[in-house]
Amino acid sequence: MTSSVLVSLRVAGTAERAFAVFTEEIGRWWQPNILFQFTSRAPGVLAFEARLGGAFLETFPDGQVFEIGRITAWEPGVRLAFTWRQASFAPGQKTDVEVRFEPVGTETRVTVEHRSWESIPQDHVARHRFPDAIFLQRHGEWWQALLRAYRMQILGEDEP
Amino acid sequence: MPDQTQRPVLTTGIYYQDPLAALDWLEKAFGFERVMVITDQDGKLAHSEMRFGDGLIYVGSPWSEAIASPRSIGGKCTQTVHIQLKGGIDGHCARAREAGAEIMQEPEDQFYGDRTYRARDPEGHVWTFGQTVRAVTREEAEKVSGLKIEGWV
Repeated sequence: MTSSVLVSLRVAGTAERAFAVFTEEIGRWWQPNILFQFTSRAPGVLAFEARLGGAFLETFPDGQVFEIGRITAWEPGVRLAFTWRQASFAPGQKTDVEVRFEPVGTETRVTVEHRSWESIPQDHVARHRFPDAIFLQRHGEWWQALLRAYRMQILGEDEP
Repeated sequence: MPDQTQRPVLTTGIYYQDPLAALDWLEKAFGFERVMVITDQDGKLAHSEMRFGDGLIYVGSPWSEAIASPRSIGGKCTQTVHIQLKGGIDGHCARAREAGAEIMQEPEDQFYGDRTYRARDPEGHVWTFGQTVRAVTREEAEKVSGLKIEGWV
């Protein structure tokens, strides 16, 4: 079986724009969380290389770069998928994130599904000793906070 | 656009023998949208939230002997949920029927000015949908119904 954290909300505007803000402006709306940091360093700035197979990167103030994952689906306005690993993961350990963009009237429904946490053992440091369901719930609440910031980023730019 | 990340003051939890199937059905029949679904490593639903307009429900499995799906207790409900629509109630009912809802009461105009219908979902929960279709004064409502009504604005 595969575990899954699914979070969804509606944002203003088209799916194309929602995709663009998600990918091109992630460095501006991302909200680091101490429970889910990618490395043990102070958080850097996130960015996607805009193509299938491109990297999902965290860049630190001193110019060093951590590769979080690779883009496994790049369908502007429709779907984005990428792998996600933290520096504490062993080789071969990774999780998967899929983001879907669906037009609903004048809005876009954005759904994030973060899977494969079952591949990270229960006693792994990344789980902070939380029971599985509690860990996933916390993770979901963080994704909700992230999407809230993402939606504000979209709204902010819509204002004249 | 309602703020979908804030929880309303009042939210109800609805319990199903098969909550994952219920999420699919509630979306198809009523147009509710999943806003958070947590599935654990055993594939079991750990937590879920659905929104409809500015309303929120939790959908889950019974977590105590005191909690049950109507299907587990002879179809009895001890509470129902009312949803107030802004428009399109007849189309909403048609969609619910198409998805397999049992329509307990067809859409019909009520003396207090709303048009309502009632539907039973596959596990027996009863849902009422209403839409205001005309303005009714308290005097008119009292006269038609024979009831004494307090608190009518």
